[in-house]
Amino acid sequence: MARIDLEQLQKNFGEHTAVQGLDLMIEDGELLVLLGPSGCGKTTTLNCIAGLETPSSGRILFDGEDVTAKPPHQRNIAMVFQSSLLYPHMTARKNIGASLAKQGLDEQAIADRIAEAAATVDITDLLDKLPSQLSGGERQRVATAKAIVRQPRAFLLDEPLAALDAALRLTLRSELVNLQKRLATTMVFVTHDQVEAMTMGDRIAVMNDGRLEQIGSPDEIYNHPTTLFVASFVGSPPMNFVAARDIVDLPDTDGGAWRNLASRENGMGVTLGVRPQHLRISAEPNGGMPTTVFALEHLGRESVLIMEDDRKKKLRALVEPGFKARVGDRLFALPDPKHCLLFDENGNAMAKPATDGG
Amino acid sequence: MTGDKATVWSRLALLVVLLWTLLPIYWFLKNAFLTPDEIARFPPPLYPLEPTPAAFFNIFGIDYTLVDGTVRRGSGQANQIIRGLINSAIVSAVVTAVTLLVVLPLAYVFARLDFAHKNKLLFAILLAVALPPVSTLIPFYAMYIQLGLAGTLTGLIIVTLTITIPFVTWMLIGFFRNLPPVERLALIDGFSRFETFRKIILPLGKSGVAVAAVIAFLFAWNEYTYALVLVNGTTANTLPTAISGFLFQHPEPSHLAASLALTILPPALVAFFLQRHIADMNLVDPVR
Repeated sequence: MARIDLEQLQKNFGEHTAVQGLDLMIEDGELLVLLGPSGCGKTTTLNCIAGLETPSSGRILFDGEDVTAKPPHQRNIAMVFQSSLLYPHMTARKNIGASLAKQGLDEQAIADRIAEAAATVDITDLLDKLPSQLSGGERQRVATAKAIVRQPRAFLLDEPLAALDAALRLTLRSELVNLQKRLATTMVFVTHDQVEAMTMGDRIAVMNDGRLEQIGSPDEIYNHPTTLFVASFVGSPPMNFVAARDIVDLPDTDGGAWRNLASRENGMGVTLGVRPQHLRISAEPNGGMPTTVFALEHLGRESVLIMEDDRKKKLRALVEPGFKARVGDRLFALPDPKHCLLFDENGNAMAKPATDGG
Repeated sequence: MTGDKATVWSRLALLVVLLWTLLPIYWFLKNAFLTPDEIARFPPPLYPLEPTPAAFFNIFGIDYTLVDGTVRRGSGQANQIIRGLINSAIVSAVVTAVTLLVVLPLAYVFARLDFAHKNKLLFAILLAVALPPVSTLIPFYAMYIQLGLAGTLTGLIIVTLTITIPFVTWMLIGFFRNLPPVERLALIDGFSRFETFRKIILPLGKSGVAVAAVIAFLFAWNEYTYALVLVNGTTANTLPTAISGFLFQHPEPSHLAASLALTILPPALVAFFLQRHIADMNLVDPVR
């Protein structure tokens, strides 16, 4: 168990900068999710923490101790790789025990530890099978057992669930969180799946282009994104964005107060963001944006209405499951001013102006 | 309908290929079990009426008494055959061992690690594979005369290695590259680079190791061009050159056939027992 600090972590691959001056503090016992699109540097960051990559500059501290120059196994971390990588020619038992031989434990102690770890993730029956004889979910469990058996200071997981089917991912996701909470071991979990990040993380660190965009609880990330990137990356269906210059010249009608949000800030580069659940849809002019229905997706508990504004930009709204609309219908989409977010030209969140609307 | 037709044609094609490859082998094997009289007969018998293993004893210099009491004398070339067999076995064993020792780490490094000038070095290896053996024959011979290596097993082994090492390396690079990225796992588990290679990669890639061994062995066992120039007519003569020399010594045809059977026996055994590994291994062009 350890608190992990990254100080000005930088990693270059030739000309390319994968991680750029990253400062990150991971609390002891927390589950931190590194979230970002592919190529954003999240896996490189994880590999640096693990010791698989040597940072170009910066420091990595475990409980205040500088481990930047230490090889992976001396850091005593456990890592689960993409697709739950295992040694293909070894049984589950040998796979799980592989790291223990280096810890100077005797055979009995190793056998006990393996049995205990296997029992924790419920794979005692599978110990004598080869990875090729296991299903994807079982392999994942073996990889997890391999991680917990060494009683590491931290778990590092690199998209371990990415290759599994959706139903299994759902199950294993909660199992991993449950396990992490029971063991109270620091865990860093890398994913590009924002749903996984939202559901699993105590905190989420959103990365983009080798930089940290925002770090915070799932609630903060979702409701108070500090950048346009975070706002657009997190949430499903994604947030709607409207450029200020596209709405100021809409005909002035009743209920159009929301438009002041954008125009008041006088910058035409301002972007207004609103989540799909905060758009009110009406067939009558309601002060909102005039749109044309593009598609209606039924999700059961709700439906996603996809519309196009007059500039062919897509807008998404969550509507009641019974909502009826035909492709080509004219509808008006009115954002709830209370829930609108504003971003400046550089994509940074702006202090929300007080509004009289809503 | 078309499916049936395809089956018929593919069976036919298979039959042609089988005849093409197996018929010559059958023909000389058959001769090994015939008496000189039967071989000289016209038309020749299609199969041995009274098969006798006499020739297989004779080529090792052992007399053999047939059921009717006639004695078939040991071959006059027995010494050359036995020496050729021993030399071939030594050359093949040493070449296989040295090739594996050099090639396994070499191919692994090329396949899995990054270093400066990697592609240039890869092409150097490819060049060594592409060079026709005949083009290096004269330089090697001239050099060997000065070094006193002509007519020695050591000389032949060195020359053979210049072919097997680049060839098998080139072949194994693709194999190693296709293994899952277990090095990272091993690094986390605390294995050193060398331990990873010895304890993880080699057991994991045992098919590749087996195929590499087979290729090196077969090449050394069948090598003829260099042996003909460097060791033929010396005490370091190998089986292929020894047997080809018989053509000028008027041997008994059944003895010739039996010695030929001797030369194809090890490759046949190797192919039979290792075919599973060979099928396991998918060879990929090492240059991506």
